[in-house]
Order: sequence, then C-alpha cells, then structure tokens
Amino acid sequence: MRLRGLVALVWAAAVFGASLPVDAQAPGPIRIGASLSLTGTYAKLGNYQHEGYKLCAKQVNDKGGLLGRKVEFVVYDDQSTPATGVRLYEKLITEDKVDAVVGPYSSPITEAVANVTEKYKKVMVTPLAATTSIFKRPPDKKRHYIFMVISPAEVYLEGLIDMAAKRGLKTVAIVNEDTLFSKAAASGAADLAKKKGMQVVFQEGYPKGNQDFSALLTKIRAANPDVLAASTYFDDAVAITRQMKELNLNPKMYGITVGGDLPEFYDLLKQNAEYIYGATQWEATLPYPGNKEFAEAYTKEFGREPVYHSAAGYAGCVIYLDAVKRAGTLDADRVREVLLRLETKTAFGDFNVDQDGFQVAHKMVMTQWQGGKKVIVWPDDLAQAKPRFPMPAWNQR
Amino acid sequence: MTRAFLGALGVALAALALYPFFGTGYGVRATLQIFMWIALAGSWNLISGLTGYVSFGHVAFFGAGAYAGAILVAKVGWSWPAASLVGGVAACVLALVIGYPCLRLKGPYFAIAMLGLNEVLRALVSYFEGLTGGGSGLSLPTLDATIPIYYVMGVLAAAVTLLTYLIITSRFGLRLMTIREDEVAAEALGIDTARHKLYAFLLSAAGPGIAGALTARDQGYIEPISVFPLAMTITMIVMVLFGGKGTVWGPVLGAVVLFVSQEFVWARFPYLHQLLFGAIIVAVVLLMPRGVLGILQMKYRLPRTI
Repeated sequence: MRLRGLVALVWAAAVFGASLPVDAQAPGPIRIGASLSLTGTYAKLGNYQHEGYKLCAKQVNDKGGLLGRKVEFVVYDDQSTPATGVRLYEKLITEDKVDAVVGPYSSPITEAVANVTEKYKKVMVTPLAATTSIFKRPPDKKRHYIFMVISPAEVYLEGLIDMAAKRGLKTVAIVNEDTLFSKAAASGAADLAKKKGMQVVFQEGYPKGNQDFSALLTKIRAANPDVLAASTYFDDAVAITRQMKELNLNPKMYGITVGGDLPEFYDLLKQNAEYIYGATQWEATLPYPGNKEFAEAYTKEFGREPVYHSAAGYAGCVIYLDAVKRAGTLDADRVREVLLRLETKTAFGDFNVDQDGFQVAHKMVMTQWQGGKKVIVWPDDLAQAKPRFPMPAWNQR
Repeated sequence: MTRAFLGALGVALAALALYPFFGTGYGVRATLQIFMWIALAGSWNLISGLTGYVSFGHVAFFGAGAYAGAILVAKVGWSWPAASLVGGVAACVLALVIGYPCLRLKGPYFAIAMLGLNEVLRALVSYFEGLTGGGSGLSLPTLDATIPIYYVMGVLAAAVTLLTYLIITSRFGLRLMTIREDEVAAEALGIDTARHKLYAFLLSAAGPGIAGALTARDQGYIEPISVFPLAMTITMIVMVLFGGKGTVWGPVLGAVVLFVSQEFVWARFPYLHQLLFGAIIVAVVLLMPRGVLGILQMKYRLPRTI
C-alpha cells in the first residue's frame, strides 16, 4: 500500500523536521533564557515576574548594555507544570543556545528544572523559589549553580505569629496548599508558633486548584482559633476569604502568605480584604536604594503597580547581570564565584547567600489592608502604622 | 507495497535509533516525549479503542508507575530499569483490582470508576507523606540517563504498537471488537466478555506504568499533581480519536501530530493553545469520529490491520 509508506514517511519527517537544530549562536546580544508560568495556576504571579525581567533588560540596554552587548530575554510558557519547564530549559540551553538562564516561577518548577541547569553547569539565579530544600540538600546531592534571592518559605508567616504572640493570642489554625512551597511555609509557621508558646489547634492541606473550602473552614470554625494562617498562592486565597465570610468564620487575626499583598486581592474582595495580613518579600514604599525609581519606572512601563514577584524578578536579573559585570565574563564558574561572595542591596533589599546559594540577608515584611491601602505593620523598624486589631465582624468592615 | 511500508518503517526506526548521536539535548527529550505519548495513546487504544470501554483515568496507571518506580529508586536504591518494570507490574496489579469488579458492569460505570480511581490515587499519595513526600513531591538522586531512557521508551512505544498489531490480527482481538460492536451478541457467541475485557485492560495498564516510572527517573522530581493530571488522560484520548481508534497506527499518528503541533506551533501562542486544543477535540468528534485513519480506511478500503 503506497499510503502506508507515506504515513510512515510523514511520521519520520515530522520527528526529524521538528528536532533539527536551529541556527547556531550568532554574535550580538547576550541572550538570557527562562520559562515562566504565563498560563495555568501560577499565571498571575508568573506574569509579574516576566515584567520584572523585561524592565531589567530594558534598563540595562538603555544604559548601553552589558560587556558591550545588548541583553535580550528568550521566554517560553511552561503552563505552570514542572514537566514542561524541564523540557523548555533543555530547549533553551541546547537548541536556542542562550548565553545564560534565570529561574522560572514557583518552587516545584524550580526544583525540577534545577536538575537540567545543573547538568549543563549553568548559573541560575532563581528569584522566585523560596523552598529551603531546593538549596539545602544532602552532601551527595548538592547543587552548585543555583542562587536564591527571596527569603525562605519557612519565615513567611513569622510576622503574623510574632504579632499574635505579642498580643497574647494562644491558638492558631494553619491551612496550606499541598505543594512544596506552601507546605514548607505552613510547617515553618507551626514551628514558630510552638516556639512562641502558642498552640496549633488545626493544620491541614488542600490540593492545588481546590475551589471549595467549606469543609475545611467548617472544621476550623469548630476549632475556634485566635489566628488563622493560610499558606496560599492567589486564587485559593481569594476563595478562602470569600468562603470565610459565607461561613462567618472570624478569627482575631487572619494572614496569608502569597496573594494577600496583590492589588488584585483588594480589587476582587473590596472591603472584605480589610484587616487581612499579607506576607510579602517587598513593598514599593520600603526604603531600599533605587526602590522608588523602580516602582515608578515599572508603573510607567506596564500600566500597573509592581508586586513583590515583579521586584524579585527584577532584582534576580539585576543581581545576575551585576555578577557578570563584576566577573567580566559569562563563564559560569567565575560568575558563580562572584555570586557566592556578593553582598549587595538592590531595590528588592539585601542579597547575600551562603555556600549552598541559600539566601541569608533578605528580610520579609507583613502588610495589612487598612481603608483600601496596603500598609506595612511588621517588623516594627519598618512599620508605617499600627496593625488594626482584632478583626471586627464581617458585616462591620 | 507491504515491502515499501516495511522499508520505510525500518528507515524511520534506524534513524530514531541513531538520533541521540547527533540530536541536541532538547531534540532527544522531545522525541522521548513523543515515544511516551505513543506508548500512552497506544495503551489507551488497547482497552478503549478495541472494547469500547472508555477509560477516563488512564493516567492513574502512569502515576502509579511513576510513584512505584520513584520510591524504589529514591528510598530502596534500585536501578531505574528494574524499578521501571516494577512500575509496570504495579500498574497491572492496580488494573486487576479495579478492573475485576468494574469491567463486569456495562454502561458508563467503568468510565466513572476510572475517573474516581485517578482522584483517589492522587489523594493517597498526598496522604502517605513518609513514603511519597506528599504534596512536597519526591526528588530522585541526580542522574543523567536521558539517552538510555530514550531507547527504553522507544522500545516501549514500539512494543505497544506491535502488541496492538498482534492483538488486532488475532482471534483475541476479534473477540474484543465483537464486544465493542455488540456485547450481548458476543456473550451469545460464547465469549467470556468479562475475562476478555480484563485481559485487554491489564495489557493496557502495563505500558503507562512503565512509561510513568521512566518519566519519573528522567525528570528527577515528581509531585502528585504532575503525575496524575486529568489533562493527560484527555490528551491520550484525543490523540487516539484523532489518529483513529481501534487501529494500529492511529495512536502513533495522533501522538506525533498533536505533540509536534503542541510543541512547535501552539507554544508560540500561550493564551490560545488551550482554546485550539478544545477546538480540535470538538472538530474531531463532530467531523471525523473515526479519526484520520478511519476515514482513509473507509475511503480507500484499507485493511483493518493498518
């Protein structure tokens, strides 16, 4: 049958045509590759990070580039899944032959793609991976080329627990999305609470993408905690808050890890977002060098205000390029040496890593929505206002 | 003509076997993914294409194999080839447990049970944290074995395709297709339908189990949501429907065409690709329910063993 042969030929042609190497690396711009969660569960946050990268490249190019070359980003969409991310980093490194890579969004995806970047000995500054276990690994599984920018997951809710303990609150309930980062943040909060003499009366996870929290929240209402700590991303944080109102679950304090600090959080929830604490790595109002200028340039460029994911992405890119500049080369081992010793302060705050590339200098802050404004309420030396405490009934907000 | 076909097939296989020697890391990994999808779609075709019993949770076997393999590698220290075989066995055992009762029922119960099975498994691996790492996932020791895994996955894809050919040309296959066309008539002819369906189901579980374990080893990190996604089952189904269900080469054609278009065309339109995927599902179901090969078979009177 002629047709059968044809089918087989088409198949062979498809496989080969698809995988023929693209043109070899041309001299010209320094190309930096990344896969980001532009669609899928993490899309909202991944897009903020993408804008941070874009602004960083633009500013460097406006100042004449790096090592005499322009900086250009090659970005793909990993659909918020680790498997796609792995394939895309492999593509960036072996086919697009980018000069450097920077990190993707989220801990699970970073955990997966770090295996690829390590294999090719590529330095990867990972601005949005906050899970300790990605960096702190047993001696035989050490990674050498990844660098953390933000504070680790375990301290996200430190501010909430600290404020609660100071106000003499005794019980805390903790919920978390059952994924790498959120779980680490939740267990970090539980440890801190126990250390401060508080009692963890409820702790449970829910699967990624969960929409209905009524069963979980009913159980929490029965446990009647003083404090509710939720280790979330964005969509789940909004859903939990809405359903708390529906079920009239009203702890004295309610804090969120990721999502509570986004402007969209207030846009969606309006006055229901009032009094809610959000953990954040960064705020536009913090007195870091160049921070105000960054926030202004960002708002001008993208027509919306930056969030910490934007700033972290921006800072990750700035730090990497700074290290390249100091090293005077793109050579991975020399850039690595520089990064390990680098102590610097960007618009995002302090940067300094230990021998595992683990961030030790950066500080977290805690915000609260007060009258439609996001205000820093913790730590005391950076606070702009006193926390409004306790939360009033839902219908009085 | 058969000779021309075998010749072309031989050339394609030889080229694929040599590919890792000159392909890029990404090319090898993408082709490895195509092999995986051929194995998955081909396996789904064995139960659902041949007997008509639609499995809506076939990714459960993929995930079960992935976790079985990953646990053996990470916690017990097995080598990955042995762990992959056990991944296949684990999937078969699971298929036996769920298939024995469910395949006795007629109608949509089997489809729903499979959908549930996938969710149950995901919840179970999230729950048994000590063994599976729960939602934090399971990291495997770093090992660069992409090229050996490429070959093993390639052999697996070929084996599933060959198995489909052998079944379709056998009395066993005829019995399965009789069940698909009219189960009551099949019983009246003296076919032990429950047993035949179960055999087909066991055969269809092994491939995804092995593929899951291989993928886990290759990626080095798995988490419940990444190995039990419903979307993966849907993709398998669409690949088979597109290529032609109940055929030998339909799943292969569907896997290659859909994966390649996803990777090289749709990836450039991140916000559109899900829409496009949905549109393809609708178009296939409405316009060519028998798939590309099904249409060709009807039009050109091709043998059913294509």
